[in-house]
Amino acid sequence: MSLSQRQLALLLIAPGLALVAALFLYPLLFSLASAFTDPKGGFSLQAFGKAFELYSGDILFTIVIVVSSCALTALAAIAIAGTLTLGENPWIVGTLRALYRWPLFIPFIVAAQCMRTFLAKNGLMNNSFVSLGLMEPLQAVSYLDWRGIIITFVWKQTPFVALLLAGALAALDRATLEAGRNLGASRLRVLLELALPQVMPTLLVALVLSFVTMLSVLSVPMMVAGSQPTMLTVDMAFRINAYGDYATANALGVITYLISAGAAILYLRHGMAKESAP
Amino acid sequence: MQAETQGVSCAGAAIQVRDLHVAYGGTPVLHGVSLDFAPGTFTALLGSSGCGKTTLLRSLCGFVPVRSGSIVVGDRDVALLPPEKRGMAMVFQSYALWPHMTVLQNIGYGLKLRGTAKTEITAKVASLLAMLGLSGYEERKVTALSGGQRQRVALGRALAVDPGILLLDEPLSNLDAKIRMTMRHEIRAIQQRLGVTAIHVTHDREEAMTMADRLVIMQAGRIAQIGTPEEVYDRPASAFVANFMGAENVLPVHVARSADGTAVSAGAAVARLADHDATALPAGEAVAYFRDDAASLDAPDAAPQGDLLVPGRIAARSYPGGLYRYRVEAAGRQITIDDTARHEPGAAVGLRIPVRRLHIFPATEAATAA
Repeated sequence: MSLSQRQLALLLIAPGLALVAALFLYPLLFSLASAFTDPKGGFSLQAFGKAFELYSGDILFTIVIVVSSCALTALAAIAIAGTLTLGENPWIVGTLRALYRWPLFIPFIVAAQCMRTFLAKNGLMNNSFVSLGLMEPLQAVSYLDWRGIIITFVWKQTPFVALLLAGALAALDRATLEAGRNLGASRLRVLLELALPQVMPTLLVALVLSFVTMLSVLSVPMMVAGSQPTMLTVDMAFRINAYGDYATANALGVITYLISAGAAILYLRHGMAKESAP
Repeated sequence: MQAETQGVSCAGAAIQVRDLHVAYGGTPVLHGVSLDFAPGTFTALLGSSGCGKTTLLRSLCGFVPVRSGSIVVGDRDVALLPPEKRGMAMVFQSYALWPHMTVLQNIGYGLKLRGTAKTEITAKVASLLAMLGLSGYEERKVTALSGGQRQRVALGRALAVDPGILLLDEPLSNLDAKIRMTMRHEIRAIQQRLGVTAIHVTHDREEAMTMADRLVIMQAGRIAQIGTPEEVYDRPASAFVANFMGAENVLPVHVARSADGTAVSAGAAVARLADHDATALPAGEAVAYFRDDAASLDAPDAAPQGDLLVPGRIAARSYPGGLYRYRVEAAGRQITIDDTARHEPGAAVGLRIPVRRLHIFPATEAATAA
């Protein structure tokens, strides 16, 4: 018996396909189904009702945290990638290039632990400010709340976005940037008006990926911030660990998925608008 | 045509470059270049790859830091100013148009930076586009334009800010041959009409000769010769310039001065020169450079009639069109000759070279030529 090309191709990808189906598709579909199932096994939106009743504040909190973290990450990454591309001081550019990627190699949980000691009321940051005379000890406040989560996310994701952005900027035709300087644009205007628009697709991809990553991190909100309000990942873990309530946890999962789908749709719409432009 | 240039006026500025030293890292590239550019002139910087011509242009507009020396535009030294403060507009080899902008936005960007009103920008861009033969292209994306159109837009973008100085960095090298010819004349005509001081970097000899008032030949970070196209072509100052300007055939000769006059000999072939032709020639061992079309083929035993008649043998023949191109082995060298008559490979011939058309330099100098 001889196999046709088509059968051979299917045979080749079969192990990979089986793995994806068993480890990803099956659990995904199972949890989706579970979110829409009542305890008796019938179709129901009961789990969603409960999720909204208990956690609508946390849903909003999650969106605000992730969107503002993305915005701040974008600003920081643009500043770093812009300096790497258009910086003229070799010392600053060299130091920045050597340092900015470090957080990439640090896991979220370690980053969260570092931030706990850094941002606490008597943490390294406040102690440094006090010893520098910038702050009275009584003025010290803890940043271990929503601000701590945002700071950790921005610190952790900025190198990733900056890395992609700096790569895209370096791949630009240098002459397009020089042409701007030549006509009288400052370096900041060259970055904002000439360089960034050309690498916008890369920036958007990096931000969408960061958005989804931040949305799915459990360790940071759990370790850095208090219990209320908190992010959906913590709520999901709580529903499962404390109550074995898989249905509500899965409903929260579907909501998380819809939020990240929203980000993806925004990105796709931007891409399509660009394609259809004359 | 005059009406089309309304609102576009660029009074040319003078530039004085004095003892300019530029280095990349630790490697010196320009070794003390001094050069004047008169207002409204068109100068071509010509030289082989790595001679420093592009570096000179880029240091003029501020993209390459200057180690020492001055660049005086009008009456101020701009050598240490950032690019945006130098008032020079550049046209790049890769066009360097901004792909996310329309033609109008590209050309109008320099004006926008200067705070010009929107209506004024639109009017000025329209008049520039009319001058460049691109009327009605304002809203096109630059990515939808052909190479020639892109280069016109790039030229328009540079001219929009009324620069006193227009820098052209091999602007035609990415265009196909036919459009290149048209653009040569267009750029030259626009430069003359506006009176802008233009500096054009190229490695294309013909392009430089047809566009520029003056050629600056560069060699290894120094100026080898400055002159009009005729001067540089007919009276090259060095073996390098002669060779670079197309006199690629090399013939070792001996120049002897005696009471009878000056004799130039190549092997057994001898030609005598009247004294007034010979005063500039070096005496002794020398090397003669001449172009393919300077010599012709004759019978090996023809009468010299005052020319050098060097015996040789045809090694190869090709037909580039209009005439035959021969590779001739003579005086131990391979020499390329263009001739209208057809000869067979292997035939013994006499290379007839009028002595006036030889560029003769001392043998010691020839050794350093490219």
